[in-house]
Amino acid sequence: MVREIKFAVGVAALVVAFGLGSSVYAQGNTKQEDNAKALETGTFHGKVHQTSGRATIYQEQDGRLVLRLTHFKTSNGPDVHVILIAAKDADDDANFLKSDVERVELDKLKGNEGDQNYDIPAGTDLSKFRTVSIYCERFNANFGAAPLQKF
Amino acid sequence: MTRSASGWLTNHKGIVAGVGVPVLVLAWWLFRPEKLWINKQVNEPPPFAANSVPQPLYTGLLAGKAHPTSGRASIYQTPDGKRYLRLTDFTTSNGPDVHVLLARSDDQNLTQELVKSDLDGVELGSLKANQGDQNYDLPDAVDLEKYDAVVVYCERFHVVFGLASLERF
Repeated sequence: MVREIKFAVGVAALVVAFGLGSSVYAQGNTKQEDNAKALETGTFHGKVHQTSGRATIYQEQDGRLVLRLTHFKTSNGPDVHVILIAAKDADDDANFLKSDVERVELDKLKGNEGDQNYDIPAGTDLSKFRTVSIYCERFNANFGAAPLQKF
Repeated sequence: MTRSASGWLTNHKGIVAGVGVPVLVLAWWLFRPEKLWINKQVNEPPPFAANSVPQPLYTGLLAGKAHPTSGRASIYQTPDGKRYLRLTDFTTSNGPDVHVLLARSDDQNLTQELVKSDLDGVELGSLKANQGDQNYDLPDAVDLEKYDAVVVYCERFHVVFGLASLERF
């Protein structure tokens, strides 16, 4: 019995000495408590219609979700909308009508260049809608897509 | 045939105009070709007070190299101009003499797990912990256009644990 205890203590000492399986955990703070919080972010890709920039989803203090585009640039076109799609990412030449992808309409694209915000309808499940798309409704053409990742 | 066709067209100018003009208008409305040259610029303010709290400038996802490493690396700037690196959802393996560095994403040393020559980097400090959210102050003069990658690096054995390329937030 004593031998077993000694053995266990020895093994424990070895584990501590070599740091096996031990983890150090840190918890620095952001000082961002009293502000809108960035939940998800990603960058646009799009070759057929050159699209670039960043898409970030913020949660306001009252819980409302807002999509913000920054450093944003795409080609101007007819009937272009900002939508969320229920997919991890989208091909540059994706046709969401053909592939029958579930989507949430946010608004018409306010401008093809510059920083802009879009309200996201309450109850939108962000664990399902993982990609922002700049989408030409008239020709079912995806101008660019930004897959989202946790910020 | 061509002669009689063009003759028919001249004799029926009204019909040609009546069909052709609406077709042209419809084609213009559908394709809006003038938008190829006309840009529409917007500049909306962010949906939050941008001057009272630290703002992210750059961000990127960490990927493991020699050891599984994941999480997000972001560079923040405080309202008074100080910059710091923040790791979130961070996890890597624990190890000896592990440091956090800024390096150049195009550095050939970073394509391998083992760094052979000297790594051109900016030391930010010893890794505070192998898991969890943590902040590292940046020296005042660091050029983030040049040093655009975050490296979790074991100084003792010159091993790259993990790497994140930074992109503008």
